[in-house]
Amino acid sequence: MHDENKKGRSFADIIRFILQEMKPRGKFLTPFNVISIVVIIAGVIILTVRFIYGLGSVSNLNQEYPWGLWKGFNVITGVAFAGGAYVLTFVVYVMGVEKYHSIVRVTVLNGLLAYIFYAGALILDLGRPWNIINPIIGNDFGYNSVLFLVAWHFMLYMIAEFIEFSPVAAEWLNLEKAKKVLQMLTLGAVIFGITLSSLHQSGLGALFLMAKSKIHPLWYTEFIPLLFLVSSIFAGISMVIFEGTISHRVFREQIGPDGKSSFDQIVFGLAKGAAIAMFVYYFFKLLVFIHEHHWQHIHGFWGFWYLFEIIGLVLVPCFLFAYGARHRIIGVIRIAAILTLIGIIVNRLNISMIAYNWNVVDRYYPSWMEYVVSFTVIFAEIWVFRWIVTRMPVYEKHTKPAMA
Amino acid sequence: MESYTYVNIFETKGLEYLLLICFLVLFIFLVRYLASPLPAKEQAGKE
Repeated sequence: MHDENKKGRSFADIIRFILQEMKPRGKFLTPFNVISIVVIIAGVIILTVRFIYGLGSVSNLNQEYPWGLWKGFNVITGVAFAGGAYVLTFVVYVMGVEKYHSIVRVTVLNGLLAYIFYAGALILDLGRPWNIINPIIGNDFGYNSVLFLVAWHFMLYMIAEFIEFSPVAAEWLNLEKAKKVLQMLTLGAVIFGITLSSLHQSGLGALFLMAKSKIHPLWYTEFIPLLFLVSSIFAGISMVIFEGTISHRVFREQIGPDGKSSFDQIVFGLAKGAAIAMFVYYFFKLLVFIHEHHWQHIHGFWGFWYLFEIIGLVLVPCFLFAYGARHRIIGVIRIAAILTLIGIIVNRLNISMIAYNWNVVDRYYPSWMEYVVSFTVIFAEIWVFRWIVTRMPVYEKHTKPAMA
Repeated sequence: MESYTYVNIFETKGLEYLLLICFLVLFIFLVRYLASPLPAKEQAGKE
């Protein structure tokens, strides 16, 4: 291999190495594996039916409800959860806060996979999925459409995130020259990615501006884009805390005891950021509420549901984050992160599904097959994430690259 | 003699200005709360 190193590896060597790495590692029959494989197989069958017989054969979507669970949860909520990547890269690469450097790789990987799987899930939900290429090739640009911006941004952001993560893959393949070149591109990709993120996170909210008559007044506002952007900051931070907590248990051999103690310090810093972002968001919501004279809507089911979202799933976790960060109680911060993630799911589903067509008698409820497909997307992402983390130097800089 | 004019802050921008002032004041408190060091008693407990 020493001689080969001198000559440089051939393309065939790299392919052989990747194929070798495809083999499963560790215990295969775990509860997670068994459940996820069953769900994924069921999901693939349902998706096959969906692509042969159309959306109506597996989902409860109709002309009144063209957007359902797949867009409301997978795309709109999933992209908000991926916000951690642009927040973290901004803090580390632009502001130069090195304290968070150790979690940048895993956060960028999470963001990349979230976009590939959750934004990719958009294809499942399009009645004519082959038309997805139209905004890109110019068949029908539609410059005035928010979807035009979202389509381009999703594609460009995936490329930017891929460039940000590619030095890790180069390190794994022991391609030193390629790694150096890719590292030089990182800062540019980060700045480009942050610009794109801030625009399409708000762009996803702007998609609902045309549904003024359909969304309940407590959730509809012309400031939806701004609210989506601000909420994506603490959604992303909460996801980093939640995912990091699980990963530090599942991948503890790779992280080591030093990594765990430094992660606790990182969590305290992230909790402060989340508390501030949530505090700002809460006052934005309050200001919109007062500005648009919504007092008369605070009664009955919708009023209480709105208060539950704003107080129970924004203000309460905001205080919990602040309290946990101030008193250094990691358990309180984890509870706050979970409440925040639930709050984001509730908020996005309220706007796209629950409070959408709120006064229509014939309401939309997702079919069981829609739930199975949603879980399929999540499980498939976790499988790919686990495969990458157990092979590439995501958690720590390996002194020895995987491909010798 | 001029009559008293009642200004309803719910119908004017008054409530929005009040809210912004509250936000700015509370924001300073929040940042100070987060930035302050751990109390000595709790610090000793953590160590």
